[in-house]
Amino acid sequence: MLKTLRLSFALRNTYRVNAILYAVKQMPLLGRVIPGTVYQIRGFKIFANVVSVLWEIVSAFLGKYLYFLLMIGGALSLYGLPGEAAGQAFLHMLVFLSLAGMVLNTYMFNPTKDKYYAMILLGMDARGYTLVNFFYAVLKVLAGFALCALLFGLPLGCALWQCLLIPFFVAGLKLLMAAYALRDYERRKRVRNENNPTGPFWVFVALCLAAAYGLPFLDACLPAEASAAFLCAGILLGLLSLRRILTFPDYRLMYKELLAGAPLVTVQMGSEATAKVQREQSLKNISADSSITSGRKGFEYLNELFIRRHRKILWRSAKRIALAELAAAAGCLAAFRFVPEFRAGINELLVTSLPYFVFIMYFLNRGAGFTAALFMNCDHSLLTYPFYKKPGFILKLFQIRLREIVKVNLLPGAVMGAGLALLLFASGGTDSPLDYWILFMSVVSMSIFFSVHYLTLYYLLQPYNAGTELKSGTYKVITMATYLASWAMIQVKLPILLFGLLMIAFCILYCIAACLLVYRFAPKTFRLRM
Amino acid sequence: MKFVIEHLSKSYNGRQVLKDIDFAFEEGKIYGLLGRNGAGKTTLFNCLNGDLRTDGGSFYFEDGTGRRDAAPEDIGYVLSMPTVPEFMTAREFLKFFMDIHEVKEPKPLDEYFARMSIAPEDRDKLLKDYSHGMKNKMQMLIHIIAEPNLLLLDEPLTSLDVVVAEEMKGLLRSLKAGRITVFSTHIMDLALDLCDEIVLLSHGVLEKVDKSDLDRKEFKERILEALREEDHA
Repeated sequence: MLKTLRLSFALRNTYRVNAILYAVKQMPLLGRVIPGTVYQIRGFKIFANVVSVLWEIVSAFLGKYLYFLLMIGGALSLYGLPGEAAGQAFLHMLVFLSLAGMVLNTYMFNPTKDKYYAMILLGMDARGYTLVNFFYAVLKVLAGFALCALLFGLPLGCALWQCLLIPFFVAGLKLLMAAYALRDYERRKRVRNENNPTGPFWVFVALCLAAAYGLPFLDACLPAEASAAFLCAGILLGLLSLRRILTFPDYRLMYKELLAGAPLVTVQMGSEATAKVQREQSLKNISADSSITSGRKGFEYLNELFIRRHRKILWRSAKRIALAELAAAAGCLAAFRFVPEFRAGINELLVTSLPYFVFIMYFLNRGAGFTAALFMNCDHSLLTYPFYKKPGFILKLFQIRLREIVKVNLLPGAVMGAGLALLLFASGGTDSPLDYWILFMSVVSMSIFFSVHYLTLYYLLQPYNAGTELKSGTYKVITMATYLASWAMIQVKLPILLFGLLMIAFCILYCIAACLLVYRFAPKTFRLRM
Repeated sequence: MKFVIEHLSKSYNGRQVLKDIDFAFEEGKIYGLLGRNGAGKTTLFNCLNGDLRTDGGSFYFEDGTGRRDAAPEDIGYVLSMPTVPEFMTAREFLKFFMDIHEVKEPKPLDEYFARMSIAPEDRDKLLKDYSHGMKNKMQMLIHIIAEPNLLLLDEPLTSLDVVVAEEMKGLLRSLKAGRITVFSTHIMDLALDLCDEIVLLSHGVLEKVDKSDLDRKEFKERILEALREEDHA
């Protein structure tokens, strides 16, 4: 067991060190200075090892700390509950969020690259490897949750024993879920990928989230005794689950199936196998409906066929998001009726915190997925033909695609804008009727901005190589900067009128600048990376 | 017409893959490009096709009227792994290409398919359902209609079945007039069968192998010897 643990660490550390060095080498300016032999240079390797070990330690605590801070602390601060009620709500939220987390994150059913390398490529003993690493992950959960539960629970008035039970409860739920999924595999030969939960799991998660955040609104938190019963039950069920986890005989077979089609793993294979699996996955997204045709010509013809044959992947999530937004708006309207304080909270949020929605629109925008589909199923092949690389043709297609990507993102953008304007009205409105229009237009502008942003990045940086791997360090840095800038907008508090006008003006200027840049540079930059 | 390469060089991570290459390819010939694994054949093709930036040097076409730089439409690059837009049918792809490309004397689409022995029942199938060989034929068809002055073929017959491979060889022979064809392969007999000239990419430079009075066996020996020298470099 110790040997397996040591080997697992060594393996994980090796690829993590190489990944760090690779990431440094991909940095826009730094990458040019660092030699190609960076993997052989002792100093660089020591630096990457230090970063890797620090990351291992920090990851055990930082993620949990942020989880407690944002998911529980943030929600509690919004509710503004007094002393004892806050402690009760803390335990209540933690119980239901842990139940949701149980189905989304067990470690065992996450098809990560370390498992692929160890069990498939290197042929390590699957059972030994899985058990050692699973229990190591559970230990990290225990350590991280113990610290955070004490840090957050005690000041809220939770008892020490309650705080100490929390990490064992969370670990118990992970054991329970792992055992359940193993049993399911034994019975139905169906392996579970926790990154791709099926419908019933999403319903379960939605119910848990609704219970975690909705019930405290209605002043219906679990009594402290009930929370304690949940904690004890979780621990007991976890202990009972141990037997199945320890005696399950088919880890190797199960992981072969789990790792065979997981996109996260295939991206990491870095070989012909990657291309093959990704290719198979992308081909599945093409509609075989023989009634799909187009009466257009040239690039409009190409575009129409592409959009119609990829309708499922291009439009499905946009439609789902729009539906979820409608449901959320309906939920808020219902809450206005039953909880009058909620009305005032939402009104204040909309009147002063419109910038917050930049961050939300960042997450809802389908620009990155749209450009990935364009590359995988269209440009990857056509960019090898000389006619496709003519400057005039590149720009013509850019115009068409700009129209399409804006259309796809406009659906959730417009629904969000209209929904927020409606909520503003229903929550008490504002003094200026203009605010409703500005609110709607600024959310639509955000949607257009992100659409233009992702397509422009795609045309100016073309981040994929011929093996369909994302290789551009500059692209990664800019997308990360986009995330950070969107996140920073959460802190900005501005009136609707001012922020809305600024947002609309920024969007117009950005679109003009982006189009000019694409017209100037894309004929040179829109190429296959070799 | 000639395609002239002058002082072309390219380095990767401090290793010079192409070293100051000077070479002239002549119209109407098929050149067999041979080299060890990692010699830089694909790098050379990628540089000529504009997919990789060169470190230095130039390449251009030269004819009776003077010289001119190579434009994208001058070069057709056929990859060993055929790439076709798999969300389209063969007929749709061909129609799209004919829409945007000025063809001198356009023919009905079925005539082009017949030339490549693509059966009528396959012409309206999605390209994702095509076999490797069929995709290769479709890729070649587009390049044939585009009529590039320089056709670069990177191991195009690898992994084709014998029937398709023979069809493609016949096709390449029929296409060689009026253009320059450069064909990279690891199969020496194929190169000797199909190509008019054998060019080695060795130590980062292009070098034509002189056939002069040698018979096939002696010629093969000479090529092998030259390639083995790479080990001693």
